[in-house]
Amino acid sequence: MRLIGVDIGGTFTDLILADTGDGTVWTHKVPTTTADPSIGMVQGVVELCQQAGITPGDVDQLLHGTTIATNALLEHRGAEVGLITNKGYRDILHIGRHQRPLHYSIMQEIPWQDRPLVRRRHRLVVDGRIGPRGEELVPLDEAGVRAAVHELKAAGVASIAVCLLFSYINDAHEERVRAIIAEEYPEAFVTTSASIFPQFREFERFTTAAINAFVGPKVQVYVQNLVDRLHAAGLRAEPHLMRSNGGVATAEMSAARPVTLLLSGPAAGVLGGSLAGTLAGRERLITFDVGGTSADIGIVTARGFAEASARDTWIAGFPVMVPTIDIHTIGAGGGSVAYVDAGGAFRVGPRSAGSTPGPACYDKGGAEPTVTDANMVLGRLDPEFFLGGEMRLVPEHARRVVDELAARLAMPAPEAADAILTILNHNMANAIRSRTVQKGHDPRDFALVAFGGAGPLHAVDVARTLGIPEVIVPPFPGITSALGLLTTDLKYDRIRNQFMLNIAPDLARLNRDLAAIEADVRGQLLADGLAETQISVLRMADCRYVGQGYELRVTLPAGDIDDGAIAGVWRQFHDIHAAEYGHAFESNPIELVNLRVVGVGALPKLRATSAPAGGSIAAATLKVGSSFFRHDGALREMPTTFYRRELLPVGAEVAGPAIIFQKDSTTILPPGSIAQVDASGSLLVRV
Amino acid sequence: MPMPNDSLLARGVALPQIDLVTAQVVAGALENIALEMGHKLARMSYSSIIRESEDFGAALLDSMCRQLCECPISTPLQLGPIPGYMRGIVRAMEEVGDEFLPGDVIMHNHAYYGASHGPDIGIGVPIFIGDELIGFSFTTAHHLDLGALTPGSCGIVDAVDAYAEGLQFKAIKLYEGGRRNEQVWRILRQNIRSADMVVGDIEAQVAACRLGAERYIELVKQYGLETVLASSESLMRYSERMMRQAIAAIPDGVYAAEDHIDGFLDDPSPRRKDLTIAVTVTVAGDEMTIDLTGTSPQVDDRPINMPLIGTVDIALYVTLRSVLLDSALMEYVPQNDGLIRPISIVAPRGCLANPIYPAPVIARFCPGNIVASTLMKALAPVLPKRISAGVGNLKVAAYSGLIGENYWVYMDITEGSYGGRYGRDGMDAVDTLFANTRNNPIEDIESHYPLQVTRYELIEDKAGPGRWRGGLGSIRDIRFLSDGRGSLEGEGNKYAPWGFDGGLPGTPGAVTLLPADGGAPVELPSKFPSYKFAAGDVLRTVSPCGGGYGDPLERDVARVLSDVTDGYVSVAGAATHYGVVIRDGAVDEAATAALRAQRR
Repeated sequence: MRLIGVDIGGTFTDLILADTGDGTVWTHKVPTTTADPSIGMVQGVVELCQQAGITPGDVDQLLHGTTIATNALLEHRGAEVGLITNKGYRDILHIGRHQRPLHYSIMQEIPWQDRPLVRRRHRLVVDGRIGPRGEELVPLDEAGVRAAVHELKAAGVASIAVCLLFSYINDAHEERVRAIIAEEYPEAFVTTSASIFPQFREFERFTTAAINAFVGPKVQVYVQNLVDRLHAAGLRAEPHLMRSNGGVATAEMSAARPVTLLLSGPAAGVLGGSLAGTLAGRERLITFDVGGTSADIGIVTARGFAEASARDTWIAGFPVMVPTIDIHTIGAGGGSVAYVDAGGAFRVGPRSAGSTPGPACYDKGGAEPTVTDANMVLGRLDPEFFLGGEMRLVPEHARRVVDELAARLAMPAPEAADAILTILNHNMANAIRSRTVQKGHDPRDFALVAFGGAGPLHAVDVARTLGIPEVIVPPFPGITSALGLLTTDLKYDRIRNQFMLNIAPDLARLNRDLAAIEADVRGQLLADGLAETQISVLRMADCRYVGQGYELRVTLPAGDIDDGAIAGVWRQFHDIHAAEYGHAFESNPIELVNLRVVGVGALPKLRATSAPAGGSIAAATLKVGSSFFRHDGALREMPTTFYRRELLPVGAEVAGPAIIFQKDSTTILPPGSIAQVDASGSLLVRV
Repeated sequence: MPMPNDSLLARGVALPQIDLVTAQVVAGALENIALEMGHKLARMSYSSIIRESEDFGAALLDSMCRQLCECPISTPLQLGPIPGYMRGIVRAMEEVGDEFLPGDVIMHNHAYYGASHGPDIGIGVPIFIGDELIGFSFTTAHHLDLGALTPGSCGIVDAVDAYAEGLQFKAIKLYEGGRRNEQVWRILRQNIRSADMVVGDIEAQVAACRLGAERYIELVKQYGLETVLASSESLMRYSERMMRQAIAAIPDGVYAAEDHIDGFLDDPSPRRKDLTIAVTVTVAGDEMTIDLTGTSPQVDDRPINMPLIGTVDIALYVTLRSVLLDSALMEYVPQNDGLIRPISIVAPRGCLANPIYPAPVIARFCPGNIVASTLMKALAPVLPKRISAGVGNLKVAAYSGLIGENYWVYMDITEGSYGGRYGRDGMDAVDTLFANTRNNPIEDIESHYPLQVTRYELIEDKAGPGRWRGGLGSIRDIRFLSDGRGSLEGEGNKYAPWGFDGGLPGTPGAVTLLPADGGAPVELPSKFPSYKFAAGDVLRTVSPCGGGYGDPLERDVARVLSDVTDGYVSVAGAATHYGVVIRDGAVDEAATAALRAQRR
């Protein structure tokens, strides 16, 4: 099987082609064509096929991570959206949870008020109300709905969100509105709140639906262009798009639910890091994806990647309530700016110089010291070999801006540069600590998988701060996300409210409902063209003690759930509660709030990469230079060996202080750390 | 055994010089701990007032009860008072010769010993390394009921003294030396309505405090106590420096303002209504004195008095830092003891802002918000680009009823609105100034209580006109589905939020009963004690709308049109207040020019 993964970033589109038979991979990079990213992508696919000596028609599968939905939301460039909601509740999207985003600010912005997804003029109300048990309290005013649809159509609104109270229990009214829109305004893009994510908390659910409506038309056009262009280029495989939940969906499904694409790229990164760790035989991983402006952190255990709890995900200041890989993003990367603020505090980030002007040493006009400049001053980057020599760095610029900062801090320039890295590394370590310790994990039991352009620069120091014993640097750190795309499955989430108490279980209903959801998700996967043998189904439940507002997830056993099985489920909940919060309320009643079913359609995937050809340590040695490292408490300039990664043979050991260059990243080995080239192609660093 | 005065800090240990980098690293670790405490508390707790409304706080303190860090989720009014709670605990324990033991968990809510008010229970855990007391882990949270004279813990507006407000805890050990004091827990269960929820919430607070203590010990073991303390001191000095710089940038001088609170508008006694809040700010170099002299005398037998420590000080500190160290305009300045060092507060004993025990204080929130807003009003002429015009106050209501012999109690916090700001309209329908809670989802309320939220929208055409108009308040209707009780505390039914620099005032709020029997609506005052309501009755609360900023005739015509299109302003309002003539959805330019010229 031949698989292509395409990860489109802000500046570059990364492509990877893998032959699952022998694990051979080819990589390629083209500039992102911002206006329509599918243009650059298709060109890259064609070129990559040429490189591998195949035609696009030979490609069995194309998997794609996209930022199109994310950028539309971040830049607030989406469709003019209309809302149809219950009479009396026109402003749920505007009032939100009545909380200000910042505690201590008079001049702050409130995203949902200052940048509304739906302007009030297009928020229309209709009679009709469902109650808290799903009962119809007021029938839907269908004539009113028709009038509202006409009004929105006349106003030129292209996308309509239908958001009604309690639709997560009974979606009949929302679905009826959808049907009426289909009659009156069939070309409109329609989103109903319950179809996106049927969960209580109206502001969050409505907002999620409104985001879907806001980015939907743009994503739809993009996906259509993509499919057309790929076909025109001779590709026969249907593209699949990466979603925030760590699975892919067909182009059609993705276009209908674009809100599920918002963390497409970062999710692929977690999978790519997971693959590298798994191939090296490691099970518990912290993925650490660091670029120019931000660092994305994910956790992988024997149970796979962690999923964020509902209400933990915010994008562009808006809450997003769809199943999402638990990814924690902080503003720390190679472009993070270091400065001393008015009160004399030394800060690094979250402000970033980005790619323009970028760090001072990029010679594009950057005038503030960044993390990359600090690495430069410490002799850890080489002007000749940065990014394989594609970008020439100017060390004098880095030195100048770091000197200025050092003067303010009254310390020598290398000390100032080292301080920049110390603060950045601790910011990153703090973020990792908060994500692991809070979830009951001890970071010392994990390996840190470092990738992205800047991850391997900082990973060993970060690992040391946390007591993490090992760092894994994948073979192609800069395109790990694209690689991750080649390891994914089709994945559809279904959720349904159940509200069953452990003191009054209704197992017949539970089994009936589970069977119905399972049948639904299997049907979708069959419709996508999968065979029964490719389909597996996971069943889970969200539970809480009666009265609590947050649920914890337990797994449900396969097959019919009987008294014994449900007893095991309740036991599991007490245990998870104790593990998560340090306390279980064993005598309190438990409420099973939601059933969750995940349908997984197995796709062919990359399971191993071929071992690097390598050469010899002598061939890989570029030179012995000199770099600064903190050793035995003092910063010293030390002789440091520089290596070329692709020429290091499997099994070779390299001891720090050393720096390993490759086309898409640089790995730093401080004194005392030792890297070995693993048969999987990754560098395994004993920190 | 150790008390704060025996601790390392009190013994005057010389702390090492700390470098900027270590200080920054320790600061990050401390914030992480407080965040984790809050996260646990919110998720473990039962009542919506904690888990949905986030009316709680979490922080770590050093052995001298100085705040080291705070949890960014939660609300300033719960966070700010924490050092005061802990100092109150220490004072109470010293009075009876009690002392801290490893394994202690201490409960405290005494408003005359640092607590914000009775329903906000503080739980503190002393942190030890060996025998050395090194600090405290602390949480606060609003509880649904504390056994007051009527159900719920808000709207107890007829409490005649502190005893009528509910159980008073002055440094009570829930655990003593690690042993659970079962008798205390029984007292709680026997005297509190809806006890399962309240006790479950207290358990969550205990768990969060213990977690914070554990994490702090890990941090101290990693870096050494002296390094952590030195870093903390360096952080406090940083915050202090930032505050001093901001104060120094204000011209020296005396700035004063007054505003009024409704008090009890339906009360015949003039001593209980139309009360004055007076704020005089004196800036001298990098220090500031805030003097509340001129504020009305305390109301001896109604609970709108405000504890000086725990309410008044927090209202002033939070507002001042929101204006001077606005975190949208500059780096986040850590919230700690350093921020308040350049500020002194004066309030004559016996006034509303410094009452004498046992004057009741449980409904101190809304008056406190006017103290906060009046401080902003005093500073407005010298900081016109940092303040907002007058802010609309909130209302807090308790709904309750019986199912068999058991109470259900629900607490609903409504929202206010901000006044116009330089270059920006006011924030609409938000919690204001020294509080920042969240509303409870309608879908949560209706699923758990015999209540129905029948309307929740913005109020149209009421915001204070201005070049930058005031924010819109909300209108919220809640219907009883079975017979029950309701009580309410609010402010702003009579006094509208002030306009600034030519902006017009906003509008007062209202409270209305829409009877089940279809009878005429009944206007209610901004505070009423526990009233009986019948199934079908609707209680409507309308927020005040914020004041306008700048001359409304200078408002951008396109923004007026946009407001009219969105229904925020009526066509008539556009003409009357803004001099903008709108016909058939478009601006009549000529008529507008003429009207605006005539108005000027």
